[in-house]
This record gives sequence, structure tokens and C-alpha cells, in this order.
Amino acid sequence: MTSTLEHQTIDPHTQDFLDEAKASKFDFHSISIKAAGDERLKTAINSAVMRQYTGRQLRLLELPDSEGLRTLAGDIKGHALDYLDYYLVQTKQAVERNGGQVHFARTGEEAKRIIFDIIDKANCKSCIKSKSMVSEEIELAHALEARGMDVVETDLGEFIVQIDHDKPSHLVSPIVHKDRASIGKSFAEYFGTPFTDDPEKLTKQARVYLRDKFRRADFGMTGGNFVVAETGQVCVVENEGNARQSITTPRVLVSLIGIEKLVPRLADLAVMLKLLARSATGQPFTVYTNLFGGPQQEGEKDGPEEFHLVFLDNGRTEILGSEYRETLRCIRCGACLNACPIYRKIGGHAYGSIYPGPIGALITPLFQGLGNFKDLPQASSLCGACYEACPVKINIPKHLINMRKDIVSQHLNHPMERVIYRMWAWALKSPFLYGAISAMQKFELRRRAKKTGWVKSVPFPGSGWTQIRDMPAPAAKTFHEMWRGK
Amino acid sequence: MTVLEKVSAALGRTSPLLEAPIPPAISEPLVRLVHSDIGLPELFAKRAEENKMHVTACNVEDLMGHLIGFLRETGCRKIALPISRLLDGLEVVKQLNHAGFEAKRWDQMTLDELYDYDCGVTDVTYAVAETGSLVIRASAKHGRSLSLVPPIHVAILEPKNFLPDLVDVFDRLAKDGGAGNINFITGPSKTSDIEMNLVVGVHGPCQVQLFILQ
Repeated sequence: MTSTLEHQTIDPHTQDFLDEAKASKFDFHSISIKAAGDERLKTAINSAVMRQYTGRQLRLLELPDSEGLRTLAGDIKGHALDYLDYYLVQTKQAVERNGGQVHFARTGEEAKRIIFDIIDKANCKSCIKSKSMVSEEIELAHALEARGMDVVETDLGEFIVQIDHDKPSHLVSPIVHKDRASIGKSFAEYFGTPFTDDPEKLTKQARVYLRDKFRRADFGMTGGNFVVAETGQVCVVENEGNARQSITTPRVLVSLIGIEKLVPRLADLAVMLKLLARSATGQPFTVYTNLFGGPQQEGEKDGPEEFHLVFLDNGRTEILGSEYRETLRCIRCGACLNACPIYRKIGGHAYGSIYPGPIGALITPLFQGLGNFKDLPQASSLCGACYEACPVKINIPKHLINMRKDIVSQHLNHPMERVIYRMWAWALKSPFLYGAISAMQKFELRRRAKKTGWVKSVPFPGSGWTQIRDMPAPAAKTFHEMWRGK
Repeated sequence: MTVLEKVSAALGRTSPLLEAPIPPAISEPLVRLVHSDIGLPELFAKRAEENKMHVTACNVEDLMGHLIGFLRETGCRKIALPISRLLDGLEVVKQLNHAGFEAKRWDQMTLDELYDYDCGVTDVTYAVAETGSLVIRASAKHGRSLSLVPPIHVAILEPKNFLPDLVDVFDRLAKDGGAGNINFITGPSKTSDIEMNLVVGVHGPCQVQLFILQ
């Protein structure tokens, strides 16, 4: 066993997705077709997310007025965003009062430089890292490893992702796409032990291995679910205790957090925490809710000697200044993923980014450019289940529609699509043309459907439709004809 | 532009806002789930058990008998404790050592040594009836790791610890002031990462035993 995690094996399943995602341009269409045809993947994802989804629905019934509470939670996050400049300054002052340091990073690169600097100054060698979407966003763990640091992901799911050189596929449950057999195989290879697929035994194995890491690590990394501006405290919720280890045992602690995570007051946490775990996993409350705001105080023997809070922008200020500000309310609970009929069929990797599902379809194009991910806003049936599930009431369908408008107004759609719509608009303006075209269309479609009553193929671009479904033959008389002849 | 300048610009301001904005009012009927102060230990015990903690209610005189019985049953030998008015008052360290355990207070050990301990026996700052959570504020006397590193955590609760709702806890924490380390503990450490199978005992304690003093 080597001290750093060297990766001999890559989950071939994920590799396929990643290769396709990387191949010149992200092609959601072909990746999703492939994912939707994968029964093993679909079963794994469905059984996991349906459990969280029904759990959420039951847990929300415990609240006197879940609708009202969600509105309040959305208002609190919305308020913090509307006055983010004030609250960021307030947080900075509070953290400094607690003896910690605050850094602001414009980009992922800048955040990494700040963190490398902290590591070099404090001469740290071994990092225990707890689960954080932001560090995935800037691929921090890889960057630290590349600099020769011993980095270990300590959340069980993320640890499995790390030893497999895989990618998380869900905001809360990173390995919903994996079954126990493949995890057992990875553990057997990584630890050189006999194969087992018993979750108890696998967890025990990871516990023993990571406990030794916790004991020796000198550098802790976390993200943050919330930052309380008035006290400068970071709030991290979890079930395993690994984040608690990261903030307690190493002598240097860095929390890398997006600037949008602020709430004004401690009292706001009562609102947010009552919704977060219920929405995420259907638990009333997580096992550990950790609040920390600075280095160890006078006389304390544990806790970090140095505490750094690194606030990351990385495109967030652009979103803040746009019509999509509301999307920054997201608390990464994953409820919209679990509710989404599309996510349930294709899983997280198909979205081509670490933020999958309906919220990912929105923020990935915002973070990485609409031109690169223009298929994602289309990856929704606009059924509204995500909006209904969202604990901070982000109107995801509305924003997806606006983003589709952006695609058209920025001419990012297919030229053929633009031509067809222009022709259609032109034809619709003239009753004569409209009548002539619909008569021709009716004639041709009825001819094609003569034998069975079903149209089985039409020329391009309509073939895109008939490739996967048949269309009933149009009626003998159009509505117009019936109206005239009545 | 710095990040702060970019934020102000995105919000349509030329410099950061200096005047404190007024956050949305928190309507209590919307947020509060536990409305009464009556029966808090009972409600707490119910919720704590739902979260897979073991709860024993006992009198002060019976505590040591129960505690020693539990520690023997679970095969604990080395016991770590905070410096605490409650535990010191009950002379827990002395009695445990007398009963053959190796019990030490936080001021007599290092963090690294704590990894070799079998059990942490602590008091708590608050106990939340709504969620069945223990709230512990760390200090020089009460190490952050005492309820985290040893595989078994035993907590001793007094009647004055109980609060009805999370609303009350955050209200108290705000009034207590100080921003140190605060941990909410709601059960033994657990995970459902592998095919949604619940496994108890990951990186934190595998077992949490509570004694509620009456």
C-alpha cells in the first residue's frame, strides 16, 4: 500500500462517459442515450434516489407549514445575496475577530495558489479532506496530489470515488451509480485484501485505514454548508464524522467556500437546517452539525492552530449580476436530482459536470459557458418537480426556459432550426400559404400511413421524431375544413 | 477588480454597502416544532433512541453503578473525561479508577494519546428535544475530540440541559456569545453510501450511550 493514492484502475464505466464528455465538445445527446440504455445504472440510481425522494416527502409532513418554511428559507438566502457585499465584509471581520484569516479568490487557480501558499508556509504534508462540491469544482484534490501532498478523501463515498479515480454522480450520495460488487472489487485491489461486498466489512476497512490518516494528518480541508455572517462561523453537516475529524485534529484548517453560502444570523440556521437534511436524505437532522469559526482558543489542546476561510468567486459574481441570481440560493441538497424524471433515467455523469440534475443543467452552463453546454437546458421536461422539491424555492423551470431563450438570442441553436422557424413564422402569417402547406402535409403523411394508419418514417429533419416513435395519420379533414363545411 | 468590488458591482453599487440591512423576520410558528417545556427529557429520549443512541434514565445515586456496568459490558478499559463541574462533582474519575478502569481527565493526556482510549465520558452544554441532539461547546476544559475520537461516547445529561427546539438552541448560542467550536451530535456515526445500506460506526463513535439524570 502506498502512502499517496496511486490509481492503477479506473472504473471503465465512468471512463466511457468521461471520454465522451472530453471528446472535443460535450455531447449530452449521445451520452444520455447510452446512459438511459444501461439497466444496471438505472436500477442503482432509481433505488437510491427513490428512497431519498419518498423520505423527503414524509419528513416534510413533520413541519407545520413546509411551503411557508421553504419560502422563508428562500427569502433568507435571497436577502443574503442581495446584500452579499455587506455580509462578506461582516464575515471577514468576525472571522478575524475569532483569530482566523479570510482570503478571496477570483478563480479556481487563485484559490489553489492561496491554499498552496498556506501549506508551504505551515509546512504541511498530509491532508485529510472532507466532502465538498467546491473543491470538486476546482479539482483541488488532484492539484494537491500533483504537488506531492498525501491527500485522502475521508467521506466514505468520496474515498471510493478517489481510489477508483471516478467522479461523483450525485450532490449528496456521490456513488449512487456504483453497486457493492464493484466497490468490493476496488477495495480488494486497493488494500490487497480478500474480496468482500458486505457494506459493514467494507466500511470497517475504510474506518481502520482512515483513522490512522486522521491521527497523523497536519492539514484539514473542508467546504461549508453555511457561513454565519454575524459570528464568522462555518457550518458543516455530515453523518460520518470525517468532517469533524478534519476540523478537529490537524494543526492547519482551510475551509474553501463559495461566496454564496452566507446567511446573516445564527437564528437562520434553525430554518435552513430543518429543511436541509429532510430535503437531502429524508433524515430529520444529520448526525453531526459542526460549527467552527477560528483557531483554538487560549488553553485549548485540540482544534487547528491556524484557520483560513477561502471564499471562491469562480463565476459567481457574474451570476449574481445576471437574471439568474436566484440560482445562487442553492444549498446543494440534491432534492431536485431525486425528483427529476430525467436524472433518474440517466444519472449524474451524463451532465458532464460535477453539478448534475436540474440545478446542474442551470449552473453548469452559467459557470462554464452556455455555448459549451447548450444541450443541458433542454434536458428537462419542464414538469416542475424540481421547483416543487427545492427547499429554497429556486424556480428552475422558469430559468431553464429563459436559458433556452438565451440559446436562441445568442444564435447558439442549430442553423437549420432557425431556418425552419423563420419559414414557419412566414407561412403562419398568410392564410393561403398555411392552408396550402397543411394540405400538402396532410396528403403526404396520409400517403405514408396508408397501410397501418401510422406514419413510420418521414424525411429529415422530421426523421429525428420517427426514428424513435410512430405518429398517427392525420384526420381526413382538417379542423379548418370541418369548420367551413359545417 | 477584487472579489468584493465585483460583488458590489454585480449588485449595482460602486462601493460595498456599509449600512446593516434588515434580514427577513423569522416567523416562529413556521419554524418551531416543539412548543412546550413540559416533558422535554421524555421527548428527547424518544428522539435520541430513534437516532440509535441508547438512553438510560437514572438518579444521581445510581449513575456510577450504571456507568461502571456499561463500561464493563462493552469491554472499555481506558476512559477519557473533560474537566467538568458535573463530572468532577460526582467524582467520576476517582470512582472509575477505584473500579479498576484507567480514567484520565483531558488535562492529563495529549490528543494523540486519546486515539488509544476506549471511551469518552462527557457532560453536554445543551440537549435538544426536537431532534434528540447533544450540543457540546468545546473549550480548554472540554476538548473537541473527547466525543469524537474514542469509539464509544457516553454523555451524562442534567435536567437543566434540555431545550425544546433548534430555534431555542440557536437563540441560546447567540446569547452565549463566543464563536468557538460547537458540535451537534445526533447519534452514532453512520453512512449509507454503499447501495443505501445503513452502516453504523464510520469515522466517529460507533456507540453513543446517554444517562439522563432525574
